[in-house]
Amino acid sequence: MSRATTAPTSHTRRTAAPVRSGRPRAGRLRSGAVRSGQPRATRRAQTRLGIALTIPLMAMIVTFFLVPLGSAVYYALVDFNGINPQPPFVGADNFVELFGDPKVWAALKNNAIWIVLGTAAPLAIGLGLALLMWAVRRGSIFYRVAFFFPYVLPQVAIGVVWGWIYDPVRGWLNQALETVGLGSLATGWLGNPDTALYAVLGTAVWATTGFVFIIFLSALRNVDMELVEASRLDGTNPFQRLWHIILPQIMPVFLMVTTITLIGGFSVFDIIFIMTGGGPAGATEVLGTYAYSSAFQLNRISYGTALALVITVLAVPFAVGLNRLQRRLSLQGTGA
Amino acid sequence: MHRSTFRATTAFAALTLAAAGCTSAPPSTGGDDDSIRYLVQQPEDPAALELLEEHIAEFEKESGISVELEALPMGNMRTVLQTQLRSGDGPDVFSWGSGPGYAGALAEAGLLYDMTAAYDEYDWPIYDFAKERVTFDGRLIGVPGEMETIGLFYNKTMFADLGIDEPKNLADLKAAAETIRDAGTVPIAASDQEGWQGGHLLSMALSSRIGPDGMDSLLNGETPWDSPDVVAALRIWKDFHEAGYLPESPTSISYDSANSMFYAGKAAMLPTGSWLIGGINRNTDFEVGYIPFPAEDGPGMFSAGLGSGPMISAGSTKTEAALEFVDFLVSPAHGRWTIENMGTIPAYPVDTAKADVSPLFAQVIEDTSRLDDSKNPLGYNIDVLTTDVFNQAMWDGVQAVLTGQQNAEQVAQTLETSFQK
Repeated sequence: MSRATTAPTSHTRRTAAPVRSGRPRAGRLRSGAVRSGQPRATRRAQTRLGIALTIPLMAMIVTFFLVPLGSAVYYALVDFNGINPQPPFVGADNFVELFGDPKVWAALKNNAIWIVLGTAAPLAIGLGLALLMWAVRRGSIFYRVAFFFPYVLPQVAIGVVWGWIYDPVRGWLNQALETVGLGSLATGWLGNPDTALYAVLGTAVWATTGFVFIIFLSALRNVDMELVEASRLDGTNPFQRLWHIILPQIMPVFLMVTTITLIGGFSVFDIIFIMTGGGPAGATEVLGTYAYSSAFQLNRISYGTALALVITVLAVPFAVGLNRLQRRLSLQGTGA
Repeated sequence: MHRSTFRATTAFAALTLAAAGCTSAPPSTGGDDDSIRYLVQQPEDPAALELLEEHIAEFEKESGISVELEALPMGNMRTVLQTQLRSGDGPDVFSWGSGPGYAGALAEAGLLYDMTAAYDEYDWPIYDFAKERVTFDGRLIGVPGEMETIGLFYNKTMFADLGIDEPKNLADLKAAAETIRDAGTVPIAASDQEGWQGGHLLSMALSSRIGPDGMDSLLNGETPWDSPDVVAALRIWKDFHEAGYLPESPTSISYDSANSMFYAGKAAMLPTGSWLIGGINRNTDFEVGYIPFPAEDGPGMFSAGLGSGPMISAGSTKTEAALEFVDFLVSPAHGRWTIENMGTIPAYPVDTAKADVSPLFAQVIEDTSRLDDSKNPLGYNIDVLTTDVFNQAMWDGVQAVLTGQQNAEQVAQTLETSFQK
């Protein structure tokens, strides 16, 4: 905070009105007269400073958020094929079409599967690993690095390497299954419509779990051990301790991680695009890949943009809801 | 102090925004008139790009025109090229496909230079059938690309070892596939993980079944795509898969993996195009034959198509230099060079009598020389003649047939719906 906001200048000492105790009333502040303990000149200076400090942020918000958002809304309301410089206005036609497009519903179903499994699995596995590693001191750095490593790898590299692993001709997954006598389970993982989505999802879970694990492990360091020990003395079992003692203390962190992974489920694109391209025959298509193929493979930029806006609209309520819940729990003093 | 802070911050913000606005690339249409940009698709073999650079250097030396060669992966080419052309920052000359989903879309948007007058001026000897593929609204908007055929490569050595003769009809092919399958080898290394291979699989089966006239009828909209012949062609691959003639899961096999299976002798046949001949020559130590996909009553016919060829951006201000470069790309010397170095065949006559090529490629040269011969017709590669919407439906459809997600009738119906869009 600047000096002007904390200590009155000589000028303010000469002109300052007596300061009333309690909250100033908004109606009186709007009247323009000297209502606070600071003179008008100081408040103007503060206003200018405030504006100056917020201009860069506002410029960034306008440039990188509002303008693209406005542009997206515009393109969703016209019929732009990527070439025509003056696309015709079509109103809500793109939105009407997508609600009647069976491929959208199929993609949304895959998104739903991805959101549920792609959120639950990393949370469960990451939490389990974190609990196992909670008391481990020796070699803990190695384990943390090892588990976190997949998260820092580029999604493209992960997709390519796991594509090799799943390859029915050269991949080691089928070879490993053959070796242990489970050859009957071997299949063309990414080309079989019954397994393709789950194979890609498995890769995504592998890549995400390390992040969840590290966050949970950090949160567990702040859990009040006296409560845990007390509950142990009271005869609770491990599940009861987890549910009633540990989880409530790390709940804000749990919700934060849930929010991140869940929103990722709505916007998932890269790993699917790399591994299957949405195939075979749409079996792994999600809204993100369908928006991309509509926009850039079929030159239906406007339809793809409308799909992208729908993804945003679907994701925002979840993000806001979880964020509010997290904030409320934090204000209640619950959590790590 | 506050005022100065305000001014400084405002100035900083303004400078930041101004700097951000000043970082766009300079337009290509200005600058040195003797320098042009040439954009090509990234070749599979990086060495090919170096060869092309060396070859272009010869043109630069002779003409005094500098050519800046750029390459983009095929996957990015469409998006980047369209964006560049629309923004006026496109290459002067670029290599692009000639079908309605490719050059046709750019021509419709007025992004291509009209080369009709240049054809007269330079008297380029392009085959008439090929010129038709780059003619939109009566205007010639580019030079058609290399000629390609699609068929079946087969391992002659393995066939001989198993006592199998070259298939002369569909029944022969099935009998050969059964013998190969029973010997523990994959008969046909069909891949369809990427999806685009499905267009080739349908093209070869359909072309051999209905011939070029039937294909013309389909492509002109006179025969619907849900006709019995299309259904039968789709069903051939479904039946082949169920009979064990294909890998267990073709939609899991990438194009490269399928090629590797053939190179390694793990598969006896490979359904793909003549562009792979260079790779086959480099990677196999057995004798390879190349046949059309057989018809029920005969040997069938190769499906033929045109690859990417040079076009000029409508926004280019260096059209004279660009046309001179295109003239070089249509020259007999360049044609001979592409045959010997790139393994591709230009869409104009080239004296190949003394060309140093493999026997397999010599066969393709002979086959493609019949492209302009109505007495010895060739079939069509569908995806270079149809729209993106149709192609996507075709690629998804063949995958759906192979995985059992849809039957041949359903896919054919989808093809017809997509064709009408």
